[in-house]
Amino acid sequence: MKFTPRQLIPAFVCLGAALFLTMKALPAGDPDKGMHLEAFSHTPVQDGGRIKPLDTFARTSLLIISGKEDFKDEDGTTQPAIRWLLDVMTSGKLFQMANAEQKDKFPLAGGKAKVFRIDNPQVRDLLGLEQRSGSRYALNEFADKMDDLEKEFHRVLKIDEKKRSAYDAKALETSRHVQLYGQIASWDKPEIVPPQSANGPWQNLQDSLLEARANRQDNSAFRSLGAMLIAYAGNDVESFNKELASYQRRLDERFAKDVNRSGVEFFFNHFEPFANCSWLYVGVFLLACVSWLGWSKELSLAALCLLGLTLLIHTWALGTRMYLQGRPPITNLYSSAVFVGWGAILLGLGMEVLFRNGLATACAAMIGFLTLRFAIFLGGSGDTLEMLQAVLDTNFWLATHVTCVAIGYLSTLFAGVLGIAYIILGVWTPALRDRSMAKTLGQMTYGVICFATLFSFTGTILGGIWADYSWGRFWGWDPKENGALLIVLWNALILHARWGGIVKQAGVAWLAVAGNMVVGWSWVGTNQLGVGLHAYGFNNTLAAGLVGFWAIHAAILGMGFWPRRLWKSFAPAAVPEPEA
Amino acid sequence: VKAPAVASVGASRRAQQSTGVAALKKLLAPAASLRVTVVLFALSILLVFFGTLAQVDEGIFTVLHKYFRTGLAWIPLQIFVRFGQVFFGVPADAHLSGTFPFPGGWLLGGLLLVNLLAAHAVRFRLTWKRAGVLVLHTGLVILMLSEVVTGVFGTEGRMTIVEGGSSNYVEDPHVVELAVILPQDAKIDDVVAVPGPLLEKGGLIRNQDLPFDIEVAEYMRNSNEPQQGVEGANPATAGDGVKAVVTRRPEESGTDSRIDVPSAYLMFKKKDSGESLGTYLVSVWLSHPQKVRVGDKTYDIVLRFKRNYEPYTMHLIKFSHDVYPGTEIPKNFSSKVRVVDPDRGEDREVLISMNNPFQYGRGSVFSLGGETFYQADFLKDGSGTVLQVVKNPGWILPYISCTMVALGMLIHFGLNLVGFIQRSVAR
Repeated sequence: MKFTPRQLIPAFVCLGAALFLTMKALPAGDPDKGMHLEAFSHTPVQDGGRIKPLDTFARTSLLIISGKEDFKDEDGTTQPAIRWLLDVMTSGKLFQMANAEQKDKFPLAGGKAKVFRIDNPQVRDLLGLEQRSGSRYALNEFADKMDDLEKEFHRVLKIDEKKRSAYDAKALETSRHVQLYGQIASWDKPEIVPPQSANGPWQNLQDSLLEARANRQDNSAFRSLGAMLIAYAGNDVESFNKELASYQRRLDERFAKDVNRSGVEFFFNHFEPFANCSWLYVGVFLLACVSWLGWSKELSLAALCLLGLTLLIHTWALGTRMYLQGRPPITNLYSSAVFVGWGAILLGLGMEVLFRNGLATACAAMIGFLTLRFAIFLGGSGDTLEMLQAVLDTNFWLATHVTCVAIGYLSTLFAGVLGIAYIILGVWTPALRDRSMAKTLGQMTYGVICFATLFSFTGTILGGIWADYSWGRFWGWDPKENGALLIVLWNALILHARWGGIVKQAGVAWLAVAGNMVVGWSWVGTNQLGVGLHAYGFNNTLAAGLVGFWAIHAAILGMGFWPRRLWKSFAPAAVPEPEA
Repeated sequence: VKAPAVASVGASRRAQQSTGVAALKKLLAPAASLRVTVVLFALSILLVFFGTLAQVDEGIFTVLHKYFRTGLAWIPLQIFVRFGQVFFGVPADAHLSGTFPFPGGWLLGGLLLVNLLAAHAVRFRLTWKRAGVLVLHTGLVILMLSEVVTGVFGTEGRMTIVEGGSSNYVEDPHVVELAVILPQDAKIDDVVAVPGPLLEKGGLIRNQDLPFDIEVAEYMRNSNEPQQGVEGANPATAGDGVKAVVTRRPEESGTDSRIDVPSAYLMFKKKDSGESLGTYLVSVWLSHPQKVRVGDKTYDIVLRFKRNYEPYTMHLIKFSHDVYPGTEIPKNFSSKVRVVDPDRGEDREVLISMNNPFQYGRGSVFSLGGETFYQADFLKDGSGTVLQVVKNPGWILPYISCTMVALGMLIHFGLNLVGFIQRSVAR
């Protein structure tokens, strides 16, 4: 069989994507001659109630403090989070005292790394810092102002949360970041020393040190870790690597399961599947858009193949998180975003098979990209595999109610994006002049709304049943429940308006777009109310983001109101110029 | 000769009947209109939205009765200021007074029900195409009924038990009462209860069953924990209030799980002379009764949540509160209790935990009686448990409704989808 170059486009696209993913997946590996930091970052530790690799602890701690998962050292070279963690762990009191005795034996690099993100001008004034691009500062730059910061910390804590100013909230946030740094430097966090007996507790280095001093017990894990830290601080590559190898051999014997799991999580962190998927979805979207201009068969097939490939990675990532956590896919806002994106892609794939016009692919890819970027933004607040509060500790309801509600969100969003497509295509292009195209788009929107109604209703009522089962109240009218109910009511309204002939194609599209605003409210907005009026800091960004989301939709809705003669698709066709 | 006449009479009867039905249908047509449905949906959406915003300032219980379980809701304009404060940077001290009327939950629910029933009366056809819609709408009617049953017949209360202690009553945290107790002997007390709303109304309370008159100096629907050694004026002249002062606190808003803790400053007066027996602080915060002496009798007075005594006694053997290792994130709460019910001859131990309630006295799935105990809360120092006790004869209805609606939608949308795919394939 012979292929023309054009027919090979899908194969080339997939090959390119596979190459991109392979490059991202390959581990950087440790240099032969340097310290085996990557191997060290596999070490399992206990933090936040679960066992995770030291890599995750380093990344999330640095992310909380600086907003990034890597940092620039004094030479301006980008370094991984594990190096920062080791720098901090070797900058505490013990190392400072050692330095006082043996003049500057250790670099104490932790205090020198410019990682503290301080973007509030008043907090900078408090700490005597000048504004600089990136707004990241080293602890040593404001070490002399620690007392002032602590004073502010205690002052703000006394103020009612609802009455704190933006400055108060930021000063508190910076104090908490400094505290986290202090906990790591003083070996208070993480709990890195594994239990000595089968069911014993994990310990932090501080307690192990005190215990070792008190009863002179031989804790070999503690000795190894201590030796590694000293070797690291003294830049003794050989001892570090030797000690690490022997430590990991012993761990492998006793904690095989934790070591394996940590290894998987390390790879997950390194691979950053959600970031990669989000970029591939951009590719899918572009391919689908270009396919409407020409070479449509090949390009739309390429878009579909790339969508399928990316969905595989997305699915793997979702499954891996479930394996690591031992939970159904959605346990917090972060994972709901990941799931909404995943479900939208799956739905889009199904619709593309049914309709074959590239529209579902484009819409799905757009939702996939946006939800994954939203998830990545949410991930900035720390560990996304956090433990669940007691009330949520039930896999059955998480798997049924929460998943159904999320499918309700994603399908309502999908209908909304199809509505946006209808309005944009109708106003700016002549595409909807093709009656069958307009009709198909209408059918797609209608079908997705039916699907959305089914799942949002079932999910909402399942939530009520969960509440009845767990605390005896079927319906509590609380903001999140009401949010879910609003989606159900909105979808029901659209369907009844259509059945009653009150709205037609364009009206359904318009209402579906407004449905996105309702989803935004119930998915993100109600949580903002939940935290009351102290919408500062992180939450402030979310609230502002939601307002932006609403504004964009309001603009599109406004466009939907334009008189039909201004719509390129519906304007009376221009009379062709008579030939002279 | 007669036959045609009979036939014509029958025909005209049928015609009369059908004109009767037609007239009725014509009458119902406006009520059955889908336009009405859409308008009612839109109003419901707005009501739910308002009722959500209202929870920034008001407790869920208040919102429930002001917005949803009422015919007419009065919406305060201030909720829009709150919305603006959260999302649009409206200054924190902004205020809008005034309210506007809006159809409440009972009214909208009722109208939707009428609309739905009318629609089926007018357009009823028993066909496969309509089967799904019929099933799902029946499910919705059941759901609405269940909300009515819960609203009218359901009760919720709390049972607080300290470890090693027992309790045989359920408290209603939304209703408070002032108990005036004359201890008779070890087993029986003589109790007069003054309802909270009477105290809230203020003024002088006089009743033949009361050993004294009560003058309400101040009533607080919600209050801060008593504080000792506070400088400044103290209205109390006798009892525990002399040492500790209680201040007013805004009602707990919807998103907090805290309950309102009422307190009051009350002056007790001799019935005959009106002579003051002192101004006392009574508060739900103060769990122990205070003594008031009138003549030769000493009364115990205590402000407490209204109690409903039960035929059984719950004894708390142990309360456990587990956290995830190395954190303060709660993993599970559980109460090991012993139930003693002389009427039913029961004496057994049960474990109640989060997501694992205890159903007591419920015969079968379809039984209406009995109550369910849920692990709701615990005493601050972990010394005891707080169980939520719910009686709801309509508890089964949502389960039935959910199944019917989901099934109905599956049938309806499924048939649509199959039809669509068949048409696509045919093309």
